Amino acid sequence: MTENELKAAFEDHKDAVYRFAWRMMNSASAAEDVAQDVFLSLVRQPGRFDPARGPLRSFLLGITRNLVLKRWRDESPWEEFVEDHFAAKPMSVDTGPIAQVVADAVRLLPPLQREVLILAEYEELSLDEIARAVQSEIGTVKSRLHRARENLRRMLAPLKPTNGVRSNHGTVR
Amino acid sequence: MEPLDEDELNHLLRKWEAPAAPPSLTQRIFPPRKSSLSWLLTGTIRVPVPALVAAAILIALWIHYSRPAVPARVSEPGSVSLADFQPVRQLEPVVVGGGQR
Repeated sequence: MTENELKAAFEDHKDAVYRFAWRMMNSASAAEDVAQDVFLSLVRQPGRFDPARGPLRSFLLGITRNLVLKRWRDESPWEEFVEDHFAAKPMSVDTGPIAQVVADAVRLLPPLQREVLILAEYEELSLDEIARAVQSEIGTVKSRLHRARENLRRMLAPLKPTNGVRSNHGTVR
Repeated sequence: MEPLDEDELNHLLRKWEAPAAPPSLTQRIFPPRKSSLSWLLTGTIRVPVPALVAAAILIALWIHYSRPAVPARVSEPGSVSLADFQPVRQLEPVVVGGGQR
């Protein structure tokens, strides 16, 4: 990969990589560190990317995902990424802007549900690309995405207009 | 409490926006290049050890063989002084016989 190709790849994908890391970790500085490591790994080992296996964007988001999980494991080595014991409950939505409530709800999801939801809803990757990025089967990705959306529908239920707790514009009814 | 339907969830998810990558990320990946002059003053280069050793050997050989040959020092004939010569104090001639047959 030439320097010009690397610069073009960086310009094309830096926002997606940074956004994904930011949404996963809730920290601008940590997201910047991860994004830097993602592109430096591309510089050091450009041969790892095989265009026949998918677009560069999903490859870079896969590296981002692995680096984020590695950070979590380093910070909490005793914590396992299980998703079976998560019980979604309606959130308290009477404080803060709606965007913050949505962010909090997504970040409460188990990591394996959170990553597929963010990749699908915000980075608009296909199921096949997500499966490659998170190194899972497509069926597993579908299942996690379904559970993530079900959990969010329950967690954010207080924001449903007919439930009368709060309108979508952040005003209390 | 009735959960959200799909459209309502999609609508809410769109409200959470993420910032774009900060400019500092670009500088971390592609740091600004130094000028040639500042590179000459503060730059560093990495040299492989075998290349460094080979260069050192070549320089040593070059210095060794490029030194001018030192001409062999020829001892000049010393000047002879007669100052230490003294006359014989007691002459004792010895006649050796059988010198002529």
